[in-house]
Amino acid sequence: MNHATLEFLRQRFSEYYRKGTLMTPPSLEQREWGFIFFDISSDVRMRRHMAFQTPDEAITYMRSMVPAHVYYSTAYYALPGAATMNDKIWSGADLIFDLDADHLMRGPYDTMLLRVKEETVKLLEMLIEELGFSEKEIYIAFSGGRGYHVHIRRSDIREWGSQERRELVDYVCGIGIDPSIMMKRPFTQAGWGRRYRRALATYLKGFRQLDREEAISHLRSLEGMGSRSKRPETLYDGLDDLIEALESGRRITLNDKILRILTGPGNSGFTTILHEQAARADEPVTTDIKRLIRLPSSLHGGSGLRVTPMAFGELHEFDPLSEAVVFGETDVRVDLAFPFSMPMLGTSYTLKKGENTVPEALAVFLCCRGIADLSEGGMSRRA
Amino acid sequence: MNVRLDKKDLARYPFLKEAQGFVLSMDIPLDSLIRADTAAGQRIIHTGTDRLIRALSFGKGGGETDLDTPDDEILGYAMARLIVSCLGDRSMMDRLARYEAGRAVWFLETEEDDIRRYIAESLGLDPDADDMEVVRYIELASGLRDDRWRLINRDVRKGRVSVRTEELDALIHERIRGVIRGQLPLQVPGGICLKLREHIDRVSAVFQQQMLEEFGDIDESAFPPCMQALIAAITAGTNIPHTGRFALTAFLHTIGMETTRIVEVYTRAPDFDVSKTLYQVEHISGRGGTEYTPPGCATLRTYGLCVNRNADCETVQHPLTYYKRRKKREQGKKDN
Repeated sequence: MNHATLEFLRQRFSEYYRKGTLMTPPSLEQREWGFIFFDISSDVRMRRHMAFQTPDEAITYMRSMVPAHVYYSTAYYALPGAATMNDKIWSGADLIFDLDADHLMRGPYDTMLLRVKEETVKLLEMLIEELGFSEKEIYIAFSGGRGYHVHIRRSDIREWGSQERRELVDYVCGIGIDPSIMMKRPFTQAGWGRRYRRALATYLKGFRQLDREEAISHLRSLEGMGSRSKRPETLYDGLDDLIEALESGRRITLNDKILRILTGPGNSGFTTILHEQAARADEPVTTDIKRLIRLPSSLHGGSGLRVTPMAFGELHEFDPLSEAVVFGETDVRVDLAFPFSMPMLGTSYTLKKGENTVPEALAVFLCCRGIADLSEGGMSRRA
Repeated sequence: MNVRLDKKDLARYPFLKEAQGFVLSMDIPLDSLIRADTAAGQRIIHTGTDRLIRALSFGKGGGETDLDTPDDEILGYAMARLIVSCLGDRSMMDRLARYEAGRAVWFLETEEDDIRRYIAESLGLDPDADDMEVVRYIELASGLRDDRWRLINRDVRKGRVSVRTEELDALIHERIRGVIRGQLPLQVPGGICLKLREHIDRVSAVFQQQMLEEFGDIDESAFPPCMQALIAAITAGTNIPHTGRFALTAFLHTIGMETTRIVEVYTRAPDFDVSKTLYQVEHISGRGGTEYTPPGCATLRTYGLCVNRNADCETVQHPLTYYKRRKKREQGKKDN
């Protein structure tokens, strides 16, 4: 990124921080803050261990310093400004789930955003329908990058350590399942029993697409099946019965050893299907009780998009590529490092390598992503 | 509910508020007993010290209780808590809490129904419930090792988790453990700790010796596959993530490897930087005040570090347990 680009971004961000609606987290005086500033060097430095007493102080700081990234602690501390973590005196933390498309797929940005939204919807369903959290205590934000953050604030779980939080994140992610317990679970109600049996049925149905010999040889190749055993034949011949039992919720007579072979971690055919049933949140974020998270209402310096808080009911309709866009449509000339296309504010853009004239909002995005630099005199038309 | 608890009941369940009431209402307060060198005082101090030592040696509890002297039992409990508070060691407090919980549950298993119910209720548990709130369940069950207690393996719906009657004792155990641990360390006046000095030293020595016996010399062949994989990855020059480095460092430190030897393991890493590695290793080994224990199997699984599982892994929930068992077995082979 060159100086002109950096200056352009800082000016745009400055305008947003002056005029935009900024929010601060509850219990602000107990939070630690961290900032990353626009800097020409590639060495990213965070100024952290900062604390503010009032929302005004925090907002004034952001307006005058114009940070590229703004974070606050999910944790509550007696002395959030202390220089070392031990001296801060931890007193609790919000419960966080982080969904990031990077963990789910590769592909065009807008496709990734759609995919991660589906994952967020799955997570919210589990949190509410199964785990019993209420809409009122759940706060959702588009991260400004490739995903969503879900914050849960509830006083009775605030002091939980990593161990307790892990129970929740393992639950939503489908980690640590005991297959034989799943086989005994009632199938009729929502939950892992049903998801697990459904995943196994889907996996087994795949074998019906193959002819007998092919299916048996595939089954035989599974780790632990044994090259001489008759198990694959027996399993194949009983496939219809088994699938029917899995889907109807009847008792399963599958022997434990075969069940473990089919569902073992080495069998990616099955684990992939199972993972689709889970809400794949980034586990370490939930179990980390001293994490910094992006401030909703701040800008993401890697995209120029707004970290956008939304009400529970708004997620379904939320389109980050228009609702998280805060900049305008003034023309700006940018120089692209490679051809690039994406939609923004309802228009699809197909840009060639080299010079292009694009709306300011897209220019900010491209420059933040490091895909483009401002062309010489790129902002001249603004004058 | 109207339940009459006698002295012997309080000796069995000394964490009940009634038992603490007894300690507070004594003619001679506990701290005076300690300060005045009376025979009675010495007896109680010894009872308390022995109790704590039993706890550190993973004693089972109940069977060692002498219900003919209930007063001494109740005071011994109070004394053990004082001593462990003077020592200030977190893992000792953990063990005492675990011991006390195990001891109480040992009695509960054969307890009269009304007392059982009273104790469950006084701990905030409903003895008749067939389910409980998810968050309450997690608070109790997250410390239990077996896979069947993991939330994901439970029947969960609409914010409630099903619990069977026969599972209640395990949950009561966890509740007692949590309550006792949560009260520790007690604020003990320095003078009292000074007075208890020789007993504190005795406990400390027993604990040290036990740690040494548990781990002894380092035997790489007894490392669990996950730790071997991490070492192999570093040796091969693979850049492993922070979670992996943390797990390995904490593991090596806990089994007694010296800092310099741990740093040596990392010299083969592609981004090896002596001062940075030394700093990180020292930090994890407790130079900064907190001594980190290595993550258990559940955490390693969460981080994707649980690899090459073998049959022995199925029987443990912690890489340290794997190491201890395996080492014992190897040692047995050598001795034969």
